[in-house]
Amino acid sequence: MKKTSVTFTVNGTKYSLDISPNETLLDVLRERLKLKDVKAGCLSGECGACTVLVNGKAMNSCLILAVEVDNTEIVTLRGLSRDEKLHPLQEAFIRESAIQCGFCTPGFILTAFSYLKENPKPSIQEIKKAIAGNLCRCGSYPNIIKAIYKVGAGNE
Amino acid sequence: MSEYAMTSKIIDKAIPRIDALEKVTGHAVYTSDIDLPNMLYGKILRSPYPHARIKKIRTERAERLPGVKAVVIGREFPYLFGETLKDKPALAIDKVRYVGEPVAAVAAVDERVAEEALSLIEVEYEPLPYVLDPIEAMNRDAPILHEGLAEYKRSPIVKVFPGTNICNYVVYEKGDIEKGFAESDYIFEDTFKAPAIAHAAIEPYVTIAQVNFDGRITLWTTNDSPYRLQVGLAESLNIDPSNIHVIVPYMGGSFGGKGGVKLEAIAIALARKVVGYPVKIELTREEVFTSTCTSHSSIVTVKTGVKKDGTIVARYVKAIYDAGAYAEKGPTVLIQGCRGAAGPYRIPHVKIEGYLSYTNKIPGDAYRGYGFFQTQFAVESQMDDIARKLGLDPLEFRLKNLIKEGDINPLGQEVVSCGLEKCLLKVAESIGWGRKEGKYVGKGIAIGFKNTKTPSSSAVIVRLNWDASLEVYTSLVEEGQGSKHILAKIAANELGIPLNKVKVITSDTDITPWDTSTTSSRTVFHQGNALIDACRKVIEQIKDRLAEKFNIQRSEIMFKDGEFIIGKDRISLHRDINRVLRTGEQIVGHGFYEPKISAKLWEHHGIFWMYVAHGVEVEVDPETGIVVVKKAVIAQDVGKAMDKATLELQLIGGTIQGIGNTLYEELKFDKYGKIENPNFRDYHIPTALDISEVIPIIVEQPHPEGPYGAKGVGEGPLVTIHAAIANAIYDAIGVRFKEFPITPEKIALTIKNMRIS
Repeated sequence: MKKTSVTFTVNGTKYSLDISPNETLLDVLRERLKLKDVKAGCLSGECGACTVLVNGKAMNSCLILAVEVDNTEIVTLRGLSRDEKLHPLQEAFIRESAIQCGFCTPGFILTAFSYLKENPKPSIQEIKKAIAGNLCRCGSYPNIIKAIYKVGAGNE
Repeated sequence: MSEYAMTSKIIDKAIPRIDALEKVTGHAVYTSDIDLPNMLYGKILRSPYPHARIKKIRTERAERLPGVKAVVIGREFPYLFGETLKDKPALAIDKVRYVGEPVAAVAAVDERVAEEALSLIEVEYEPLPYVLDPIEAMNRDAPILHEGLAEYKRSPIVKVFPGTNICNYVVYEKGDIEKGFAESDYIFEDTFKAPAIAHAAIEPYVTIAQVNFDGRITLWTTNDSPYRLQVGLAESLNIDPSNIHVIVPYMGGSFGGKGGVKLEAIAIALARKVVGYPVKIELTREEVFTSTCTSHSSIVTVKTGVKKDGTIVARYVKAIYDAGAYAEKGPTVLIQGCRGAAGPYRIPHVKIEGYLSYTNKIPGDAYRGYGFFQTQFAVESQMDDIARKLGLDPLEFRLKNLIKEGDINPLGQEVVSCGLEKCLLKVAESIGWGRKEGKYVGKGIAIGFKNTKTPSSSAVIVRLNWDASLEVYTSLVEEGQGSKHILAKIAANELGIPLNKVKVITSDTDITPWDTSTTSSRTVFHQGNALIDACRKVIEQIKDRLAEKFNIQRSEIMFKDGEFIIGKDRISLHRDINRVLRTGEQIVGHGFYEPKISAKLWEHHGIFWMYVAHGVEVEVDPETGIVVVKKAVIAQDVGKAMDKATLELQLIGGTIQGIGNTLYEELKFDKYGKIENPNFRDYHIPTALDISEVIPIIVEQPHPEGPYGAKGVGEGPLVTIHAAIANAIYDAIGVRFKEFPITPEKIALTIKNMRIS
C-alpha cells in the first residue's frame, strides 16, 4: 500500500509520518505515537471514547483517516493540561465527582471543551445535546452535565 | 471509650476520589494501554453455526502466512473452564455450541496479519439440530448441548441432570406451601420475562498473556477477580496457582461481565506456543456483544396467596434462567436470584424452584444484580396488580407485608440491618405518591433486596513507612465503583494520617494479597474489615515499641484520633513518627476478614443484605409510545455512607442503567441464535439526552459486622428499577407489561389495539 507523508501537530509537537491509506487517526495516535489517553471503545463512531480535537473541533478519531489530518492541529486530553495546570473542565470533573470508571472521561472532557468554545454559556438541555454522542455506561451523566454547566461562562 | 476510638472525620468529609486526577488527565492506565516489548497480537476465528460438529480444521495456510507466529485450535488445548461447572473450552474442541464461539486463534506481528491469517483457516462443520428457547431446551427430545455433562468437574452446589440441558436446579421451601394456598382468600398467578442484556462497558475485553521459559504465566487482563482467575486457571490447567501471575490495571467498567475465565485462556493457549513473547488480544465491539456474555434472560412465574385484608400468606415462584451454551456463573446466578425470588416480605409459606437450562446462544453470566432483578421485576410487578385488585394502595400493601429488623425473611434468615421501610417511605414522599400529575403521567414504586454471596474472604496488607506514608495492598479491582478511594479513606481514618499520605496498590497477585473477587457488592464490607484489622495490627506493634521505650505496660497506652496517649504525653502517629520509627523502618500489618457462618458453603443466605426502593414518575406519549422517565428516586440502605459523592453516583448510575434495561435494551437473536444488534447503534444504551432527574437518597441502618456499619452498594440500584417503571407505566395508561424492555413499539401497538377493541 502506498504511503503518504502527513504533517500535523499533536499537543503542540509537530510530526511528519508516512501514513497508509487505511490507517485511522486513532491508530496513529494510540499505536504509533503511543498517546494512550485516547481511548478505543467501538471503532465505529458510536461511543465517543476516542474523541480528540482537530483544529479545535471534537471528532471521533476512529472515523478519521490519518491522511486527512495533514496540516491540522490535534489535541488529546493530555494536551489540555499544559504546564502541569489542570483545565477548568478537568477541575470541574474532579470537584463534581463526574467520574466512575474513567474510560469515557477523555472523550467527554474534549467534547465539552470544543462545545464551550462554540457556546460559552450553554443551558442544561444544550449540554445534553452536545454530549449525546459520548456514552457512559456507569451513568455519570448528571454529574458530567453539572461539571460542564458550572464551567460555562458566568455559571460558576 | 473503645480501645480504638476514632471519629469518622475523614469518612464523612467530601474529598475528591483518589483516582480522579489520573482519570481527568488521561494518565490512568487500562489493560489496552499496555504495550510490551516483542508483543504479538491475537485474533480469534469464530463459529458461524449455533450447533455443529467440527470435522476438520486445516491451519497450514494460515501458519505459512508471513508474520504469523502461532495458530492454535481447541484439540491442542484440551482444558475446560468454569467457576462452579467446568464445561467451557478455550476454543471449541469437538463441537461448537453458539454462533460466535471461538474455534481457533492466531498470534501475529500485528492485528492485520492475524486477521488475514484467520481467513486462511479452513474448518469443516457438520451442522447439528439446535435449540434457542430454554423451555424447549428442557424437553426430552431437545438437542443436547453437553453430552458429557455428568463427567464435568463441578462444585457440590451444582445439580446437573445428565442427558438433559439442565445444568442447575434449586428448590427452597419454608412452611407448607399447599397449606398456605389453602388458607388464602385469593390466589394470583402471573408470568414475567426478562431479556438478555449486554453489559456494554465502554472498555472492551483485553488480555495480554506471556509464558516464561519456566512455564510461569503472566496475565494483564480485564478481570474483576485476579485471585479467582488465578485459582480457576490453575485448577483447569492442572498447574500450581503460584505459577500464574495476574495483574489487573484500572477497568473501564465491568458490571459483572468481566469475570470468570474469558479471553485469558485463549491468550494462554497462544502464548504457550510462542514462549517469551507477550500475546495481546483485544476484542472488537462486535465481539464483545456476540462472544463474551450477557445477562440471563428469564421466565419467572409467581403465584401468590393473600388474605382479603392484604396479608400475604403464600408465594410459589418458578424461575427459568437461560444459561446459553456454557454455564459460566449461571449456577450461582440461579441460586442467588432464587434466594430473592419471594421478595422482601414476611411470608410464612414459601416455595421457590429454579432451573438453569443450556441453549445454543452466547452464555449468560453475572450482571449487576446477579439474578435478582429478574425475580424482583416479577414479584414487584405482581405486587401492584394484587394491591389494585384488593382495592389497596400499592404503598400500603407493601408497608403491611415488608420485612423489618428482627423478622424472618422468606428464606428463614433473621433480618438485621434493614432500612427497607424507611427507603420505601422516603421514595414515596419524594415522588409525591398518590398525587396525580396529568393524563398520561403515572407513578410507580418497587422495593427489593440483594444479598452478598457468602462466604468469601479478603486479605489486606498495610505498610507504614518511616515518613508516615502508608501503602495499602489490596486485590480489589477499581472498575469505577470507587472502592479504592473508600479503602484509602478507611486507612487514613484508622491511623489518623492525611489522605494524601495513603497509596492504594491494587490487583497484582505477586504483590497484593488474596481477595475472593470484586463482585457481589462485597468489597467495602470485606476488604474494609480486613483493612481495619491490618491497621489495628500496626497500632499494636507501635504500642509494643512505645511500651518498651517508656518502660510501661502496653495497656497503659491508648490510641485515639491518630494519637498515642501515654499519661499526659501525646504522640501523633503522623507528626511524631520519628519518635516511633527510625529512618528506613517500616511496620507491616496483615489483615484478614471472612464472615463467621454456621451453615455450609453456599447454604448461607448472605452476611449482609442491601435494601432498596425506587420511585419513578413517567409520562407516556400514547401516539408514539415513548416513555419519558421524568423523575426517578432511589433510596438505598447502605449501612453507612463511606463516601457520599461516590455512593450517590453509584445509585444514580445504576438507576440510569436500569432505565435503559427497562425501556429499550435487548439483545436480539435471529433464528440461528446470532445476535442481530451487536453495536451501540442498534443496541441503544442511555445517553445524556435520555435522562432527566435522578434523585439518590441514602438510608443508613448500620450493620453490626460492617466497617463502621457499612454494607454494599453497587448492585442495589439495578434490583427494583425495572418493576418501578413498569408500575408507573401501568399507572399512566392502565396496561401491565409483563416483559421488558417496554419499548415504544410495544406500547403504541398495545394502545392502538385497545382503541380498536
